[in-house]
Amino acid sequence: MIRKTKVSVKICVGTACFVQGGADLLLYQDFLDPVVLANCDIEGVSCIGGCKDDTLKTRPPYIQIDDKIYGEMTQDKMCALLSEVVHA
Amino acid sequence: MNNVFIDVDYAQIYKHGQKIGGDVFLLSRKPDSNQIVCTLSDGLGSGVKANVLASLTARMAHKLSFSDMDLTHSAKLIMNTLPVCKERKISYATFTIADLRHNSDEDVQVNLVEYDNPSALVFHGSEPEYWESEKIDLMREGAFKKEVLGRSHLNLTIGSRLLIFSDGVTQAGMGKALPLGWRLKGVRTYAQELIEQNPDISSHDLSYAIVQKAHTLDRLSAKDDITCMVVYVRKPRRTLVVTGPPFVPEHDQLLVEKIKQFEGKRIVSGGTTAQIVSRILGSPLKVDMKCWSPDVPPCSVMEGVDLVTEGMLTLSKVAVALEQKKSSLTLANDAVKKFIEVMQDSDQVHFIVGTKINEAHQDPNIPVEIGIRRTLIGRLRKALEEKYLKETSLEYM
Repeated sequence: MIRKTKVSVKICVGTACFVQGGADLLLYQDFLDPVVLANCDIEGVSCIGGCKDDTLKTRPPYIQIDDKIYGEMTQDKMCALLSEVVHA
Repeated sequence: MNNVFIDVDYAQIYKHGQKIGGDVFLLSRKPDSNQIVCTLSDGLGSGVKANVLASLTARMAHKLSFSDMDLTHSAKLIMNTLPVCKERKISYATFTIADLRHNSDEDVQVNLVEYDNPSALVFHGSEPEYWESEKIDLMREGAFKKEVLGRSHLNLTIGSRLLIFSDGVTQAGMGKALPLGWRLKGVRTYAQELIEQNPDISSHDLSYAIVQKAHTLDRLSAKDDITCMVVYVRKPRRTLVVTGPPFVPEHDQLLVEKIKQFEGKRIVSGGTTAQIVSRILGSPLKVDMKCWSPDVPPCSVMEGVDLVTEGMLTLSKVAVALEQKKSSLTLANDAVKKFIEVMQDSDQVHFIVGTKINEAHQDPNIPVEIGIRRTLIGRLRKALEEKYLKETSLEYM
């Protein structure tokens, strides 16, 4: 089953995220599955604010899928997470 | 900062077949007294000999016009110093000196001294100004002909231009397309047409166009060195660079007011700063995902601000590129390139630096290249002032 509405994905492009792996995530066009890509609405955000939130207990780079913030993101983790959400 | 910017540039084409010019142009700025001196000298003949004569003349005229010596006396000194031609037994170089001074008001006083060069032209907008210069006979001992200096005092305001050129321009096309050459009238009409077509034409473009036209009239084989210099008095192009949030949040509103009221281009550098500005201005911030490189995060688009970039990484790359005087053509299509293009296009840059500490940058895992904002801005200002001759100012918030 594929979700009917597009998944909103926000990638943090703030300095701290960008230098700690966020730059790799911006290549999402290359590493994401086309089906997942077609069902996601991906945009950049100048700062999600994860680095200033002590309750998160994770580290940059951050992305936000729908309303949830995920830290320590890598290309592989992002692939897995998004395909899970899209095919849920 | 000055309310007047004096744009001076020149263009030159050597006589056909020559590798060195007999026309010499010198330009100096004395920032503390707001004085600019431009000297154009045309040496006898062409090639190396002419270049020696012209260089000597221009350099002396230049140095003497910065001193308190009377210009008539300076001219005599120059004539006496010039070496004498073996064939013609004359020592000879023509010159024009324009001494420009401006005070706090928007007027520029020009002290113009001409010796045997074609008369200078002045335009207010596209309207030419005609004036009579004061003639001074030098009556030098041992002179081979009557030596008459022309002295004029002119007043340039915003939008005025002063054109100085060598006889290579006025005599272009002589005996070919135009029996008597292009003449002063031809140059004046052509320059007037160019200014009418493009009222903001830069000194660089105008001088280049005139020189190219003269070259064409000479059928692309210049019969003499062709040199044209243009002084253009205009309003400075200003840019505001805002980086970092203010130390106390109460000043956010004030910062945005300053951005709103600024006349010129506006750059906001820094994610948090951009969010503050976006919130108070009420214009949404959108990241442009097409404009980034692996070294520099993407820039964003916001209404009311010309360029929105990330902060420290972008600024440090901009500082390096400015220090190394990299051409924007060689840079990747990212925020650094856009930033540098705006910098190169401005005459005065004002920095507003927020002094709030960013907690996200206190992480020991972050690379060392994220320096201290103040140091970075210091480097930027130094590069802009020393390498690009821009005026800069700084304000902390």
